[in-house]
Amino acid sequence: MNAIELSHINKSFGGFAIQDLCLTVPSGTICGLVGENGAGKSTTIRLLMNALRPDSGTAQVLGVDVTSPEFQAVKEDVGVVLDEAYFPEVLNAAQVGRIMAGTYRRWDAALYQDYLRRFGLPEKKSFKDYSRGMQMKLAIAVALSHQPKLLVLDEATAGLDPIVRDEVLDIFNEFTREEDHSILISSHILSDLEKLCDYIAFLHQGKLLFCDEKDQLLETYGIFTDSSEQLDCLMPEAIVAREANGYGGVRALVRRNLAPSGFQLERPSVEDIILFLVKGAKEA
Amino acid sequence: MSALVRKDCCVLWKQMRIFLVVILFIAVFNGAFGNVFIVVWASMMPFTAMAYDERSKWDQLAAMMPYSVRDIVLSKYVLGWLCMGAAALASLAIQGILTAVHAPMASLDPVGNLLGLCASACVLAITLPIMFRFGVERGRLVMFLMIFLVCGSAGAVSSIAVEIGDGLLHVPALVLAGLFIAALASTAVSLPLSMKMYRKRTY
Repeated sequence: MNAIELSHINKSFGGFAIQDLCLTVPSGTICGLVGENGAGKSTTIRLLMNALRPDSGTAQVLGVDVTSPEFQAVKEDVGVVLDEAYFPEVLNAAQVGRIMAGTYRRWDAALYQDYLRRFGLPEKKSFKDYSRGMQMKLAIAVALSHQPKLLVLDEATAGLDPIVRDEVLDIFNEFTREEDHSILISSHILSDLEKLCDYIAFLHQGKLLFCDEKDQLLETYGIFTDSSEQLDCLMPEAIVAREANGYGGVRALVRRNLAPSGFQLERPSVEDIILFLVKGAKEA
Repeated sequence: MSALVRKDCCVLWKQMRIFLVVILFIAVFNGAFGNVFIVVWASMMPFTAMAYDERSKWDQLAAMMPYSVRDIVLSKYVLGWLCMGAAALASLAIQGILTAVHAPMASLDPVGNLLGLCASACVLAITLPIMFRFGVERGRLVMFLMIFLVCGSAGAVSSIAVEIGDGLLHVPALVLAGLFIAALASTAVSLPLSMKMYRKRTY
């Protein structure tokens, strides 16, 4: 079963539009949603949680159409962390816990307390007095404390210091040890996604440019670093994008299957691939 | 839905403490008019809760949680009714105590309280759909208009009411019954309308 299935979704806002978005996240996997600011990542998350109605297309989460009445019950199985923790500022963590206990049927108060301790969150301190990192940690604690099967994380690690971020990524990894647990995570921190994800989906100006297995993606492309003359020996279709490397040469993202065997290519990072793809799309 | 009402009560608690002090003051010193006024004022507490929701963008988070549109909308009505009921009871209790001790400012007026409750239910029923559609900031204009209309109506009711001494008003039963029916009818229309407005605003 697929945890998430978006099929030919279109949504127009006048100046911006999600166009023919098809995205599938198989159950038991972690999918990273990548894209520039305004590429449509948060809109995609709102569409899949039925917080926004598409103009056309269908969305299914955990096998249920998000527009059906049954989706209300499915939301019990979905933990969501948005780009900011939108809890009323006068509440404290203890009050948030009590409110969530009345919201989710499978709310685990002991687990919530455990996360509060683990994240060092004071229970009686007002939410408005938390740092941004603490606010995000509270949102993550809430998302994990009602035994969800799917986590939807929109910039959930933004604002966390590297040590806590690493700890949170470990928690997310731990979460997917259960074979029916899945995560969709959008982030600008591509190194986090490279560490965490099985799939990478890349949104650009409202269009999904690809959604591939991370390992396959890393195999598809290579980084060329040498002289411009040597790069020009390749057929143009092989070169995704190029840039000056600062030493009189060039650095380019190259499709391995279109480069001659023996052509020297380095293994790229996900960040390299995304940056060159954006650059290539802008030059096109 | 109870979780949402609980959330609003937690959010409003600080404001409610100030509100209780004001209730005490108005109920003691403003007689029959005060009894009506505090109940109408209490009916506006959901707008404060909605303003807090908008400021913290709670509504965006709530849309991701297992709350139905009905839960979200009904919770604001329930909050309003609870606040109105609590204000009416507090006012009655204060006036009851003042009457029992024969205080000069005593003006125990259950009919006035009932009048206030019906008027408040109408205010809530008329304003909430607008708040759900346009948000609190833009809906506030309508709220001021409503206060103006309620004050005008109170004047009209007092002109057909008969003073029975000690500043208390005898409101004709027909007017009271009419207001009661208006409160029920407007609420019955308002609830589904609010749900429709909320969906429109969200999607």
